[in-house]
Amino acid sequence: MTFDLEPGTITGFLGPNGAGKSTTLRLLLGLVRPTSGDALVFGRRYAGLDQPARRVGAVLEASDFDPGRSGRNHLRALALAIDIDFGRVEEVLDIVDLGDAAHRRVKTYSLGMRQRLGLAGALLGDPELLLLDEPANGLDPEGVHWLRGLLRQFAKQGRTVLISSHVLAEVAQVVDAVLIIDRGRLVASREMTELTGGDRSLEDLYLELTAKERV
Amino acid sequence: MTAQLRSELFKQRTTRTTLGLVLAMVVLVAAVILLHVVALPTQGLTGRQGQLKVLGLGTTFGMIFGSLLGALSITTEIRNGMIRPTLLAMPNRSRVVAAKVMACLIAGAALGLFSEAIAVGMGAAGLAARGIQIAPSVGDFAQLLVGGAAAAALWAAIGVGIGATLRNQVGAAISLVVWLLFIEMTVIGVAPAVGKFLPGASGGALAGAMLQETATYLLVPAVGALLMVAYAALAIGAGLVTTARRDIN
Repeated sequence: MTFDLEPGTITGFLGPNGAGKSTTLRLLLGLVRPTSGDALVFGRRYAGLDQPARRVGAVLEASDFDPGRSGRNHLRALALAIDIDFGRVEEVLDIVDLGDAAHRRVKTYSLGMRQRLGLAGALLGDPELLLLDEPANGLDPEGVHWLRGLLRQFAKQGRTVLISSHVLAEVAQVVDAVLIIDRGRLVASREMTELTGGDRSLEDLYLELTAKERV
Repeated sequence: MTAQLRSELFKQRTTRTTLGLVLAMVVLVAAVILLHVVALPTQGLTGRQGQLKVLGLGTTFGMIFGSLLGALSITTEIRNGMIRPTLLAMPNRSRVVAAKVMACLIAGAALGLFSEAIAVGMGAAGLAARGIQIAPSVGDFAQLLVGGAAAAALWAAIGVGIGATLRNQVGAAISLVVWLLFIEMTVIGVAPAVGKFLPGASGGALAGAMLQETATYLLVPAVGALLMVAYAALAIGAGLVTTARRDIN
């Protein structure tokens, strides 16, 4: 599977549950080892990138924290590991609007706040590429709206976003392009402009490609 | 490397787990020492050997809590998912494990020193209060403190290795405690000539003290130290191999 992501765009990574979206992201990030072949991002293995956290930011699960640590200290622990000063921690806390809750233990956070803290961690290294696995899970409509705005702004700065989801409607409004995978294979890659008629035809395409093979 | 080490030391300072371990250790050491100096007959508390057995309890608890600290430093991250951001920040897994080992050597030494200091302080005060003359020399006390710190530090490193190998938080913690408190004690009780070479007894040899009746079987500190380093290297090696191979889902 090979795909290109255009800088300055948001790409949806779509597919049914179990299609391999999460596994693909974990392969790219070197968390999971391929049984054969290699997973490359920016032409190299993630671990082979120079200061990878400054090039790729990722959120894989909604709550990858020590619940007993405060939001601020969680980010500070990561900042120390990627050699970034604590000033940047305050910046990303502002970006995700968690400044007021940063001193509280993560245990007390709502799911939406945890999602935002995860996002703050991904933004810490000021990366060019953001990989988000189902980032809207657990967000209320207001949270989804907020996330959309944040991602648009991020893309507007010439950076790239890949956002996986199995909920088409969640993604259709924000993405510039879509990749559709099914059973571990890339089955379609389209610009949203190619899909005239908006959501409707994305849904048609998705259903056609993912349903056909499953019967 | 230093960045990752700083991060690991910071993690230790900012989690309640560390505080909980320290508190539990303090309470246990204080209670057990108190029990021994109050309840043991004067006969068992006179003389250097008898007193060292009691004073050396601080090292036993230092090793137990050091090993737990080490094991939890990695198994807790695997359990709560923090391991993912950790590995995204530092994808070289060997370096993450190495940084955890170093951070736990430092924290483990502090735990061991603290534990033995409580044991020595409370033990000596208790003996004095009962009017029993304190038999160990200044050198014995120094060895208890320095050796206790070193033993707990090395057991913390073993803990990281075992934690990285087993990956399961509860499983790793129980294995370490069962090993130190039951398996080793049993082997030492049944066959002290063999038991003295085991990792817990080797740690006791560093401090020059052990609870068991077989304290006279203790290895000389240098041999104990060498064995401890070898055991730690083995455990860390197993942890490195496992960590490098396993997928993080």
